[in-house]
Amino acid sequence: MSRTILIPIDFTVSSLNTLKLVSRQHKSEQVHVVLMYAEHLSSSISELLYYSPSKRIQSLAGPLFTDAIDIIRNSNETGLLSVKIELFHGMNVRAFNHFAEAHGIDLAYLPKSYRLQIRKQGFDPCKLIKASGLPVHEIEWPTDLSAPEADGFNALF
Amino acid sequence: MSSKLKITIFLLVSVTLMLVLFGGSIYYFQYSYSYNDFYKRLETRVSVAERFYLDNNKANANSLKRLREEHLEKLSDEREYILLCNAESELSGLAKQHVLPAVFLKAVYRNKRARYQKQNLFYFGRKYSNAAGTYLVLVSAKNYYSGHHLILLRNVLIGGGLISLFIIIGLSYYFSKRIFDPINAIINKVENISTDNINLRLDEISNAGEISRLITTFNSLLNRIEIAFETNKNFISNASHEFNTPLTAIIGEADVALMKDRSGAEYRETLQRIILQAERLNKISQSLLFLAQTGYKENRLSFHLLRTDELVMQSIAIMGQLMPENRIQIDFNLLPENPLKLKVSGNKELLMLAFTNILTNACKYSQNKPVSVSLASTNNEVVLIFKDQGIGIPKADLPYIYDPFYRASNASSYDGYGIGLPLTRNIIRIHQGTLLVSSVQNEGVTVLVKLPIATLKF
Repeated sequence: MSRTILIPIDFTVSSLNTLKLVSRQHKSEQVHVVLMYAEHLSSSISELLYYSPSKRIQSLAGPLFTDAIDIIRNSNETGLLSVKIELFHGMNVRAFNHFAEAHGIDLAYLPKSYRLQIRKQGFDPCKLIKASGLPVHEIEWPTDLSAPEADGFNALF
Repeated sequence: MSSKLKITIFLLVSVTLMLVLFGGSIYYFQYSYSYNDFYKRLETRVSVAERFYLDNNKANANSLKRLREEHLEKLSDEREYILLCNAESELSGLAKQHVLPAVFLKAVYRNKRARYQKQNLFYFGRKYSNAAGTYLVLVSAKNYYSGHHLILLRNVLIGGGLISLFIIIGLSYYFSKRIFDPINAIINKVENISTDNINLRLDEISNAGEISRLITTFNSLLNRIEIAFETNKNFISNASHEFNTPLTAIIGEADVALMKDRSGAEYRETLQRIILQAERLNKISQSLLFLAQTGYKENRLSFHLLRTDELVMQSIAIMGQLMPENRIQIDFNLLPENPLKLKVSGNKELLMLAFTNILTNACKYSQNKPVSVSLASTNNEVVLIFKDQGIGIPKADLPYIYDPFYRASNASSYDGYGIGLPLTRNIIRIHQGTLLVSSVQNEGVTVLVKLPIATLKF
């Protein structure tokens, strides 16, 4: 039975470094990966009426981001069985536990020193994940991204 | 023929056609209606006459007569004929006697009812039989009113049509003028722009119409042309400078050597220095030629399926010969597992040249600090990233790095002509790829090359 790993992201290429390192650590073991983006659901009734998670993900994920996911998947096609992006709208640990259960999450990997770049309406789910009781691993990678276009592919290499 | 005239004529012809069709159909339907209507009126008079003259019920007949006098107007030249006719042979005699057309009488006798027209005189007749015998009841009248109405209608239609034609001529001329005047203005303005005053621009109009879009397009085209002109000028000045330096050195060396008699060893030394400069000159002209070729000869190149990782390895091997003290590291961390995703279709020599150019620059400007080469691939592109820790490129120079012979302001102490990067970009372009250079001064340059993955055809 392959395990399912949760990784929080912020739709920047930098945040995919966690995925890159997870992929490197799981060359021999096959895993599913769920990339989770956390944001508050809109309170406007008309926006909710037309709410579609897949469209929201499409609008958040730029071509660079999806290309970067492709790069990582291509580099470890045997290890990464699937990589999917999910939105999390909950507020508390219980909601997160439901989310984890629904997606069959076994463990989570968090960036250690990198802080997710939170957009409007978004929030950092790391605290929730840590409090949830899931096995959590923290991964460290150099975050001194002083290079220009910090969100280009450069951030991955 | 100018477009203005064309549009005017086209509008005129189409609208005239429409008018003629419209007026003609009105006239035709009115015409046929008025005739039918007139026959119906005659028929009414025939039935009244039948009742009045031939019906036995006298009281009824009197009231009919009164009704008729009150309500039915007298038609012009209206005449009633009640002809007793018991056999068909009597018809021709009757016709002569009453000056009636014999054909009509026959038609009435045979068909029981008939209509007939002789010029403006209309006839309607019915056969009536009662105990006394067989009668032909005929009414004839001139269709005075409808004839006059139709003439009036025709005149109104023709007059109105002519007037609207004149209006249309005026309008179509006005509109075509309105459409083409701004275009003519643009043409005149653009004709005035030549190589001397390429900085001139058309005046922008602030509406969202086609004309303002045309003007914007023209202006952006002019911008690009101006930039191309500038680049050309820069190229010429830079190129002449590059050619001039070794030539000056050669001339100077030869002059100094010829000043007085020298020993054979001194001459040899001078000649060697001259050769060195001449070789430099040769290298410049060769690379320039190559640049020109990569700019045009796309079709003649032979493309093969190549593995990018092999290309990179071979380029690095060449770098080992060119700059033995280089510190190039390959990062295979994100190398795709599927080797098919590393295959590109390209020309091996050109791609090797491009990669060695990038690597040479990276090593040269970083004085052999570590250079990392990473290989990865998305689902449709191979991505190569070359990172160095060299002097970088100043932000102000970044837009010009692809100009031939252009050299960044901090690169003057390094050897080079400024042809490598433009050449590399041309090569990558030939392969439908993209080359992106980003840099922070004094921290290094990152060159990102994307090449489309070759689609295998089996």
